[in-house]
Amino acid sequence: MNIFYRLSLLIPLFSLLTHAQVQLVGTGATFPAVIYSKWFDEYRNTTGIQINYQPIGSGGGIRQIIEGTVDFGASDGPMTDRQLSDAKSKQGTGILHIPTVMGAVVVCYHIPGLGKGLNLDSRALSDIYIGRITMWDDPYIKNLNPESNLPHRAVLVAHRSDGSGTTFIFTDYLSKISSEWASKIGRGTSVNWPVGLGGKGNDGVAGLVKQTEGSVGYVELAYAIKNNIPYADIKNQSGYFIEPTFSSVSAAAMAASVNMPSDLRVSITDPPGKGSYPISGFTWLLVYQNMKNETKAKALVNFLKWAMSRGQALAAGLYYVPLPASIIKLCNNKINLITANGKKIK
Amino acid sequence: MKHRNYFLYRKKTTNVIMMSLTVIAALAAVIPLFLIFYYTLSKGIAYLNLNFFIAMPKPVGEPGGGMANAIVGTLILIGIGGAIGIPVGIMTGTYLSEFGKNKFGFMVRFLTDVLSGVPSIVVGVVAYTMVVIPMKHFSALAGGIALGILMIPTITRTTEEMIKLVPHSLREAGLALGIPKWKTTIAIVLRTAWKGIATGVLLGLSRAAGETAPLLFTALGNRFWSTKIMQPIASLTVYIYDYSKSPFEDWNQQAWTAALVLIILISVLSLLFRFVTRSKYKSD
Repeated sequence: MNIFYRLSLLIPLFSLLTHAQVQLVGTGATFPAVIYSKWFDEYRNTTGIQINYQPIGSGGGIRQIIEGTVDFGASDGPMTDRQLSDAKSKQGTGILHIPTVMGAVVVCYHIPGLGKGLNLDSRALSDIYIGRITMWDDPYIKNLNPESNLPHRAVLVAHRSDGSGTTFIFTDYLSKISSEWASKIGRGTSVNWPVGLGGKGNDGVAGLVKQTEGSVGYVELAYAIKNNIPYADIKNQSGYFIEPTFSSVSAAAMAASVNMPSDLRVSITDPPGKGSYPISGFTWLLVYQNMKNETKAKALVNFLKWAMSRGQALAAGLYYVPLPASIIKLCNNKINLITANGKKIK
Repeated sequence: MKHRNYFLYRKKTTNVIMMSLTVIAALAAVIPLFLIFYYTLSKGIAYLNLNFFIAMPKPVGEPGGGMANAIVGTLILIGIGGAIGIPVGIMTGTYLSEFGKNKFGFMVRFLTDVLSGVPSIVVGVVAYTMVVIPMKHFSALAGGIALGILMIPTITRTTEEMIKLVPHSLREAGLALGIPKWKTTIAIVLRTAWKGIATGVLLGLSRAAGETAPLLFTALGNRFWSTKIMQPIASLTVYIYDYSKSPFEDWNQQAWTAALVLIILISVLSLLFRFVTRSKYKSD
């Protein structure tokens, strides 16, 4: 039995004790994972409450909140009515959508001899992604960029191969501005692309565009900045070419907040307003309106309030766009609706 | 005489050619391993320090930070997996070799082979439906169960093959002394085959330690220190998966280091097993 004796020496390694503590568990979107990990770390440092967030994808987050295996979910696309009623029948409570930060989807490109500042509009984008514009010196693109020297090169289209909130925002935009796109391809976290190469994840698409001359792709702003890939200015509803920046994305949210639906499930692509960047969106935390565990409910509500105030200040440093004040007010109203076993949380 | 020399010469040349071909093949089999090790080492060494083993992960933008929780988490996960997979695997293998020469044995052997071909993510989904959904909670236990299921076929098949190598004369000697069959199996057959079985166990554990897919929907992951088996738990592989996709250089770097640590962990485990099995058979 010598061997069992030796193996038993390993047991202390496995039985390290921990202090008992409330821990909240959440899963979902990968896009906000970086800011969430920062938030939850900061929040733990100030309050001692542990919130464990795991980025498994928006679809996964929605699925888990319906099944009730997590304390909260997260998604870049709002839940559908069907999913909401599913959750209600399985968990016996409604689900609230709380926007946390915003992100911009940028159209990045790799054209030899061309740096920043390519101008594109909605028709150019939909034609490129449908496969009608195949050359960079296409007259339509030339017309938008009279000063740029566009080469006679084939356009190589890159898109996501996996399901993603980024794809949802991008196709949501294309569906709004092109009836052809809306009827043939539509919006979704993954769609049937007519042309192009697929890359896995934002990093996959960024890598494809970086390596391939003549390519164009769509990624979250942070990936374009971090990979030093130039991205296009997009013409908005009012006819201005807008560079994706924090202020132009904020402007889009403010323009959209005027007609905000009461459940905050809103798409802010193609918004009105002179300074609005047209391809951006919220990312949401999905929380149960009525939670069964009072300690957890209290911790979650306090965290959400913290995220709306102190948390927003941390967003910009990590390339996330903070929420404008008007939206924060709406969020706080929503947060106050959360109850524990039917009772309000003080 | 000239005639014979010619054949001898031809024999020798063929021998040299075939010999060099097998050496080349052997090298080709080992080269990828060294490339992987070299590449991981050169990319991951930058962050490899004591802190990586004893500190907790830090958010993006803050230097330093380690993966203490993930290292312990991986050990706990393969510990739970082993607690399930090792006994089941060894007992199944023993049954197949000693008692399984019938229809049922054939069926079990066939199903084990099928199980070894099932993609690991499918095993993860099974553990998710069987453990996570009913318990309404992601947990280290669910991850361990998934890993345990993955270990079973490797351990079963190695055990069976190793026991088959035990000479029949040993079994006959035992039975001739009047020892019942079950006792012969445990005290003589399993003891003799122990070294080989340990190798199978090690293979099973190493495979489990390197799995990501079955953990995503079971053990989930954890940014904090947790060793409770009913709570989500961190693992090196899930960290590698998450960090390597990030836009931030800092996290990409740490993913490399985590990969290096995982290789080191498996090597240490392997050495430990060698040590345990060798010292028992010093007299061999």
